[in-house]
Amino acid sequence: MNKSSRVRPYIPKPSRREYFTIIILVIEIIIFSIVSKNFLSANNLETVLRNSTDLAVVSIGMTMVMVLGGIDISVGSALGVVAIFVGWMLQREFNPVLIGFVAVLLGTIIGVFNGFLVTKAKIPAIIATLGISNILRAAIFGMLGGSWLTGLPQVFTLFTKGHILGLPAPVILLSIFYFIFWVFLTYIPAGRHIYAVGNSAEASTLSGISATRTQIVAFGLLGSLVGFSALIYVGRLASVEITVGNDLAMASIAAVVVGGTSVKGGKGSVIGTLAGVLFIAIMKNGIVLLGIPSLWEKAVVGVLIILSVVVDLVFTQRSERQKREQLSKQRMAI
Amino acid sequence: MKNKIIKILSNRVFFLLILLVVVMIVMSIISPYFLNVNSLITMARFGAVLALVGLGQSLVILAGGAGIDLSVGSMISLAGVMFGFMVNAGMNVWLAAALTVLVGGILGSVNGITVALWGLPPLIGTLGTMYAYGALALVMTNGVPLSGFPESFSFLANGKVFGLPSQIILVVLPAFLILFFIMQKTNFGRWIYLVGVNENAAQFSGIQVKRVRFVLYVISGILAGLGAIIMSSWLMAARPDTGSGMDMRSITVAVLGGIDIYGGVGNLVGTILAVIIVTMIATGLQLANINTIWQLAVLGVILLGAVSLNQVFVSKTK
Repeated sequence: MNKSSRVRPYIPKPSRREYFTIIILVIEIIIFSIVSKNFLSANNLETVLRNSTDLAVVSIGMTMVMVLGGIDISVGSALGVVAIFVGWMLQREFNPVLIGFVAVLLGTIIGVFNGFLVTKAKIPAIIATLGISNILRAAIFGMLGGSWLTGLPQVFTLFTKGHILGLPAPVILLSIFYFIFWVFLTYIPAGRHIYAVGNSAEASTLSGISATRTQIVAFGLLGSLVGFSALIYVGRLASVEITVGNDLAMASIAAVVVGGTSVKGGKGSVIGTLAGVLFIAIMKNGIVLLGIPSLWEKAVVGVLIILSVVVDLVFTQRSERQKREQLSKQRMAI
Repeated sequence: MKNKIIKILSNRVFFLLILLVVVMIVMSIISPYFLNVNSLITMARFGAVLALVGLGQSLVILAGGAGIDLSVGSMISLAGVMFGFMVNAGMNVWLAAALTVLVGGILGSVNGITVALWGLPPLIGTLGTMYAYGALALVMTNGVPLSGFPESFSFLANGKVFGLPSQIILVVLPAFLILFFIMQKTNFGRWIYLVGVNENAAQFSGIQVKRVRFVLYVISGILAGLGAIIMSSWLMAARPDTGSGMDMRSITVAVLGGIDIYGGVGNLVGTILAVIIVTMIATGLQLANINTIWQLAVLGVILLGAVSLNQVFVSKTK
């Protein structure tokens, strides 16, 4: 057997859609650095990153679930429940490693449970996670009982406020996470199966990929990431409020969609998602720097979501038309 | 015999009726005040807005194509705020109310344009307007509720017609009857089902799929506008966050009511029964002095239970 006869795995290249998101991200950064003097200061950029670290980590998992054509509305409530457990353990001065382990484990259990509801009980993802979200939200109220967890020991502060090798910790943390999951989704079979199942569950099943297992793995990984984000959240705020994670699910879905993942599944990547997270985070920051009332924040994000998908639609329609034209040319040639 | 039971239970309306009876029995055991006329009337008032947006949500989901309207809550808030501004500007309350319904329709038509006509995924298109409308309501009021409605306006949400809550008799019941008639007796109603079951077949049989879906988003907006008026009368103020949470709750009642999330299957009677059940649980727990937070959990469990039970029944009857 010589080398060339081995089947080389297909390596997906970044799509035009991802380049587009990265380009508008760069344009956004240029515009804000011209308009506002404070924007490009290290301090400001660090703040932007620090405030969106947990969102960025959760969005990796949301990308995988959405590539599968699913969705998870329960991430915010799940993060809240885990964060409360983390807070309790911090108050009792548990070993931080143990706390981290329990947090990720709890998150994973919630995620896998969602996965079971979607695959085994065959409940549509949006309904299953909506139900779980309601239950977990009630659990948050029940566990906190009207009073907030405040003044928690600053054990996990390192994740957001610390510096490693002179670089802000979020930069290191997010680089590691995004690199690992980029490798996972691009080179590792289990990760590549996510795209396969997202494109066609039937075709994947016929080629021996278990759609059920792939979905449970994706929901489980999302849960693990949510569990880890709870540590980041507690480290960042040193408190857990009753409204914890209220907006996380919608914000993360928005970031993933702006990053180019298709809600219909099969398309998308963590690189696009990272660009989406940064784009929205920088936009929010820019709004504050420009002195626009922060009440406008969500309005801008809302319009952005719609615009980015409209652009996406224009792209896909154009490429489909090109494909059709090529096809008809080929037919003419024959 | 066993097959018969499964068949009856798999009929969503029967299933909901049984659930309703169970909930009534449980609630009257928990609270002795549950089964009297006054609390039933309060309950009806409480459920009015949810019934309206639940109906709109049901229609949007029924027409398939992954249809969903996440913006109903924000539409209630924004339409309510507009209503408040119109009244504060000295407009007659009832004229302002009529215009608010129109505002709701316009807000809904934005969803209709982006989702139905341009083909944006409904989840994303309405998520966008949910953000945009909600923020706009906050920006316009700076987060401060608008008040100063004339006393007579309170009649809509607190008065009675023929001894029954006026918002039910004057708004919810007519809205339901009109929609029910449309669904059962008109071509348009049949189109909604056909579009939901198979949009290609619908297209080939000459139905304007996009137009049907567009109209449904507009109807959802109009119903949200009606909800905004009732809410304003109920609170005698227009709060910029009136509708928060309504999006998820309306989806819950639609799905609990048996509307298939993939479209094409379901019935508005189911939605109304689901609204009654959900409202009974909410008020029942309140009367029993159980923290209202637990409604959320109960709602979640019932939602998951109902949908998975339904899956079991459906797979057995097949």
